[in-house]
Amino acid sequence: MASKQQPTHPKTLPFLFTPVDSSDESAERTNPHIKSSTDVPDVVSSLKERFGEAVLDSRVYAGEHTVLVARDHLVDICRYLKEELGFNFLSDLGGIDRFTDEDRYEIFYNLVSIEKEQRLRLKIRIGESDLEAPTLTDVFHGADWNERECYDMFGIRFVGHPDLRRMYMPEDFEYYPLRKEFPLLGIPGSLPLPPQTPEAGLTMDPFPAAHGSKPVKSYDEELSKDLSPERSENRSGGPGTDVA
Amino acid sequence: MSIIEQLDFSKTLSYWPRHNEAIYRRLESKHAWLEERHHPDDDEAVDPLDNEMILNIGPQHPATHGVIRCVVKLDGETIKKCVLDIGYLHRGLEKLAESKTYQEFMPYTDRMDYLSPYSNNVAWCLAVEKLAAIEVPERAQWIRMIMSELARISSHLLWMGVSLMDAGAVSVFLWTFQFREDLYNIFDEVTGARLTVSHSRIGGLVTDLGEKGIEMIEDFIERFPVAVGEWEKLLNRNRIWIDRVDGVGVLTAEEAVELGMTGANLRGSGVGHDIRRFEPYLKYDEVDFTIPIRTEGDALARYFVRMEEMKEAIIIIRQCLDRLPEGEIRSDDAKRSYPGKDEVYYSMEGLIHDFMVTDTGVCPPNGAEAYHAIEAPKGELGFFLQSDGTGRPCRVRINSPSFSNLQGLESMLEGGMMGDMVVMIATVDPVLGEADK
Repeated sequence: MASKQQPTHPKTLPFLFTPVDSSDESAERTNPHIKSSTDVPDVVSSLKERFGEAVLDSRVYAGEHTVLVARDHLVDICRYLKEELGFNFLSDLGGIDRFTDEDRYEIFYNLVSIEKEQRLRLKIRIGESDLEAPTLTDVFHGADWNERECYDMFGIRFVGHPDLRRMYMPEDFEYYPLRKEFPLLGIPGSLPLPPQTPEAGLTMDPFPAAHGSKPVKSYDEELSKDLSPERSENRSGGPGTDVA
Repeated sequence: MSIIEQLDFSKTLSYWPRHNEAIYRRLESKHAWLEERHHPDDDEAVDPLDNEMILNIGPQHPATHGVIRCVVKLDGETIKKCVLDIGYLHRGLEKLAESKTYQEFMPYTDRMDYLSPYSNNVAWCLAVEKLAAIEVPERAQWIRMIMSELARISSHLLWMGVSLMDAGAVSVFLWTFQFREDLYNIFDEVTGARLTVSHSRIGGLVTDLGEKGIEMIEDFIERFPVAVGEWEKLLNRNRIWIDRVDGVGVLTAEEAVELGMTGANLRGSGVGHDIRRFEPYLKYDEVDFTIPIRTEGDALARYFVRMEEMKEAIIIIRQCLDRLPEGEIRSDDAKRSYPGKDEVYYSMEGLIHDFMVTDTGVCPPNGAEAYHAIEAPKGELGFFLQSDGTGRPCRVRINSPSFSNLQGLESMLEGGMMGDMVVMIATVDPVLGEADK
């Protein structure tokens, strides 16, 4: 680090706010937040020994071991981890949209062994053409809602899941919001909401102003206009008069 | 003919017909967790008064602690099956985080578990600090611990007041809210806001804990244990309260682990899993405290665990105040955390750094990913972050304890009595702001 402080040539001055591509090795070693529970090289090696080819890759960042496994062997590996190595608690599960051409989606599994105080992250990768993953509900009952959430957010279907409904969004919604191509402001008309006044129709766009249209005038203003027509004439030319 | 065939959802409901139909279909087709587990042998006996009823409870219901909808199938007063419908408070925090810098996301974490916003701030900061390998000064870590424990007390106080109110004892609600008011005053003094504190910064804190703040905290930890003792005198042997919660919503240790329960719900079932011990963060490995565990696994056990946790929190705060060192409250690395206001106002470099930290912030290396969890009042609150080398996260995954606990609640409700439903929801202590993200 000290040599970086004194550049040999002015042009090589490091601009630290530029995105760095390679992981910073010195930061890796001195990370003050490394936990002993995530340092599980013996688990990774026993996985490699037992499953061989099915373990595609393993890497370490911030003292955390991540094992990339083949999708077809995921259930076997999890069952082995649960029954033989004591990883009996599924802490978390979720999807990742990498937005790449190949193997676009990832699912990570955060497994915990309560007795041995260990934590391990498994990952599988899924291509866009074949959006299916094996369900873990047979191994961990608690995977149920997490898998539903992953299906809701990314549209990854979990084969064999007992109840694959959306978790947060209603069934009437037809998009998968955590995919990278889904716009942050949502899609107008995709999710009808209850009417804002008793007589009005469904609200097709909850954020009309964000999409460039004027919001519906409130119920009270409609009433006052009906009661006093001369006042509404005075306001002609203002917003909302197109209703009359 | 089942009830679904009789109802034509597209005609009865003007919006979300498919959603409601799916819930009812699930209720029909579901095999209840308890049905599989504790199936009685003599279910052939037919009750002449037997009738089935489907009841919608929520999303707007005072006893549901937020916008949670329970669709239950009743057999008399017994809940045969239950389907929980959540998402009414879904704001898409994970999606929003992808367009914010790491620091900008902090105010959103206040609004997750709004009963203990400080814990959420700390959890977020620790996750980012782990991802970017940022060291936090000693003093900041101790202050974070003090405030997180105060947040734990605040959250448990609300839980206690509300669950006792659900069980019929309104006066406890008023007593706990006196102390919650004191806690809010402390937060106001220390952080400048009562509810949405946003006090942590990446690499430290925004303001130091002053003399007055310490005085208020010391005053609080003097008075609070006395009050807890009085409440325990009233409640621990109170026939009405014990009869109401004893044996209600039982989860065995195996069931709790399998369902993925966290926090006091897991420890009430006899599993001693606490992140403060499991993977100590901040200075939890340097203070002396015990983790209360009960083995019964019912609502009463969860009550005892939370009462003990409040007392343990006071013990932790005492030790923190004794050992609070002098020093910086924010990392001195201007490329990674905010410079002090003096620097910003009086030096060009300080201003530039302030601008750059606000505009871009920390940039963890491309492909870096890290998970950091803390023991929030509700359980394991963790953030899984993935970086693409820019100042904004590529993916943020919130592992929220209320979400895990609600999943267990669905199974817990099945087989229970309708009248106990409110008690079960209360003792699981869900916060929908967090569960719905």
